Amino acid sequence: MLAKRSYLVILLMLLLGMALVACSGGAAEPAAEESAAEEPMAEEPAAEEPAAEEPAAEEADCASEELLCVGLVTDVGEIDDKSFNQSAWEGVKRAEAELGAKVDFIETKDAKDYAANIALFANNDYDIIVTVGFAMGEATAVAAGEYPDIDFIGVDQFQAWMFDDDTSNDFTNLAGLIFPEDKSGFMAGALAGMLTKSNTIAAVLGTDLVPPVVAFKEGYEAGAAYVNPDINFISTYHPGGLDVAFVDPEWGASTAKQAIDQGADVVFGAGGKTGNGALIEVASHEGVFCIGVDTDQWETVPEAHPCLVSSAMKLITPGVFDLIKASQDGEFPAGNFVGEVGLAPFHDLDSMVSDDIKAKLEEIDAGLRDGSIETGYNPG
Amino acid sequence: METTTSIPIWKRIWDRLGILGAIIILVLIGIVVSFIQNQQVTTAVLSSTIRQSTPLVLGALCGLIGERTGIINIGIEGQMLMAAFIGYLANVYIGQLGVFSVGMTLFLAALIGIATGALLGLLLAFMSVTLKMDQIIGGTVINILAIGITGYFYQVGLTTQGKLQPIALGRLADIPLVGPVLFDNPPITYITLILVVVVHYMLFYTRWGLRSRAVGEYPSAADTVGINVYLMRYVNTTIAGGFAGLAGVFLTLEAVGSFERLMTNGRGFVALAVMIFGKWTPFGAWGAALLFGFATAMQTQFQFMGNLTIPHQFIGMLPYLLTIVVLAGFVGRSRPPAAEGIPYEKE
Repeated sequence: MLAKRSYLVILLMLLLGMALVACSGGAAEPAAEESAAEEPMAEEPAAEEPAAEEPAAEEADCASEELLCVGLVTDVGEIDDKSFNQSAWEGVKRAEAELGAKVDFIETKDAKDYAANIALFANNDYDIIVTVGFAMGEATAVAAGEYPDIDFIGVDQFQAWMFDDDTSNDFTNLAGLIFPEDKSGFMAGALAGMLTKSNTIAAVLGTDLVPPVVAFKEGYEAGAAYVNPDINFISTYHPGGLDVAFVDPEWGASTAKQAIDQGADVVFGAGGKTGNGALIEVASHEGVFCIGVDTDQWETVPEAHPCLVSSAMKLITPGVFDLIKASQDGEFPAGNFVGEVGLAPFHDLDSMVSDDIKAKLEEIDAGLRDGSIETGYNPG
Repeated sequence: METTTSIPIWKRIWDRLGILGAIIILVLIGIVVSFIQNQQVTTAVLSSTIRQSTPLVLGALCGLIGERTGIINIGIEGQMLMAAFIGYLANVYIGQLGVFSVGMTLFLAALIGIATGALLGLLLAFMSVTLKMDQIIGGTVINILAIGITGYFYQVGLTTQGKLQPIALGRLADIPLVGPVLFDNPPITYITLILVVVVHYMLFYTRWGLRSRAVGEYPSAADTVGINVYLMRYVNTTIAGGFAGLAGVFLTLEAVGSFERLMTNGRGFVALAVMIFGKWTPFGAWGAALLFGFATAMQTQFQFMGNLTIPHQFIGMLPYLLTIVVLAGFVGRSRPPAAEGIPYEKE
């Protein structure tokens, strides 16, 4: 009797747990939208759920010629990661506002699901599918071959087929939105190199398994050395794999602390939430600056305001939007599409950055653009 | 003449502490030598060691209080995560009321987080004592529940008034090396150090401790002499949950200052390993956690030194490698409480 009841309790709890896991983070997948939409969504910001209301009508619409449907598949991580996925999603949402597109997203929970998540959109006749993140490159290329009528935008996905002689593997419907992260990092490094008084600067990084992170780091160090040849670097990659390297704020925070204890007075946090942890930690140390990454983190990590002097940005939002627009206009640029990078505004710390520094940064920016300054980063 | 004087003092110390004492002395010498060579780095690494070990010690204390009374708790990770989340939310919303000062807000939030951990401990006790469920499954339920609930209710863009800041203990904090490492920490770190001593004392020198251990080793004997086995297990698992709650609160209110999904990142499971490593004793667990924290700090330090010729992932293995070596070579046999994991049935 007792045993029976206990199994019931276990079963119910496991089911409840599973259901919550599946639902966490809002709309899981378009096919499962019905169940997701029924859950109380009050906790989520309303603006993030534009497509969750009419799941049934959506399928019919996307097959039609007139309506542009844009689906976004995140890398492992959430749509509201205050960074990478979110910027791409904002580009898609801009397409919703300006081009009248129907948009939706799927949050990838497990790297094994990349292909399945892309297929969900493809089978619902979406016109454009945006996949976010270097790790999804392979799955995106496979899908692009499978669905030739759909345009694929791969954020951070370098398209190597552009550069081989073999034309049989070329795509007309796949564009990789890539960024010269090394240039963005170079600017951040130059800023750090001019701000530091202790002559030691640190970087708390995601993992070197992701090339853009390496590019940021190499650019950062080259930029600092460019303005300040004797500078010391203390940089660390997260030791874990792809699954934990970007979601470990406590590691980021304690690593930043360890760097500050050794005299670092500028810390560059580049690695999703791991980096955010570093930024927040730096905020509680007086006289130490921090620099964010990917987006203007002034908007995304308010806890870091006391130290956040700037962010090494990749302008993902306009890049994604431009590609969507090009696709709609029938001028989709297959291959590699190089987006813009730059430093975020200095916000409240503007007074800490002297006019000399600003002038020098402008000079470096111009130099990077016209090629007279090279970052020395060569991904090979 | 006392009889003990015939044995030399060093012999008595050796007998009492044995190889452990020798290791401690070696470690202290090592610290002093490295401090002479590079003050800044030594201080930074040791501070980081203390910080990295704090959640592990608390998690291990949670595990061992439960297991000493016969309840296996593999839900530490879930208890930590949930407490981290609820404590964080409490910090946000109590802060928004604007009634309390920042310090008071944090204090209340910490209490709420600890209560969350304790509640989950109570749930575990209910499942394992009253329902006589498999305790491994009970712990798994808590882990899955915590991941689901925190992931689902997590909201972006919440801001807090602040986090727990270090409190320098007056003149003590000015002592070189020892000061910044031990006497300039945020409150939960101090509390953890005190709790290690308190739990050790409670477990081995009080009636409660004796009864707890009896219940964990031989519950039917304990029952015969009139100890309420069920009640002991309920109470201890709930208290233990509070420790895991404190570990979670450490992450969101003291270490990071904000919450992220899955932010415990396996620390609850490492805490379990630390507990076994420390042979189910508070001081053992503390030593093991320090070792683990030190290895973690060192792998960061190796990267700081730069110019690595081997992939940094190899250095990332350091904490785990060290654990294996020490576990295999020095700790010897680690014996769990005899009645661990077995639901008690009254005859």
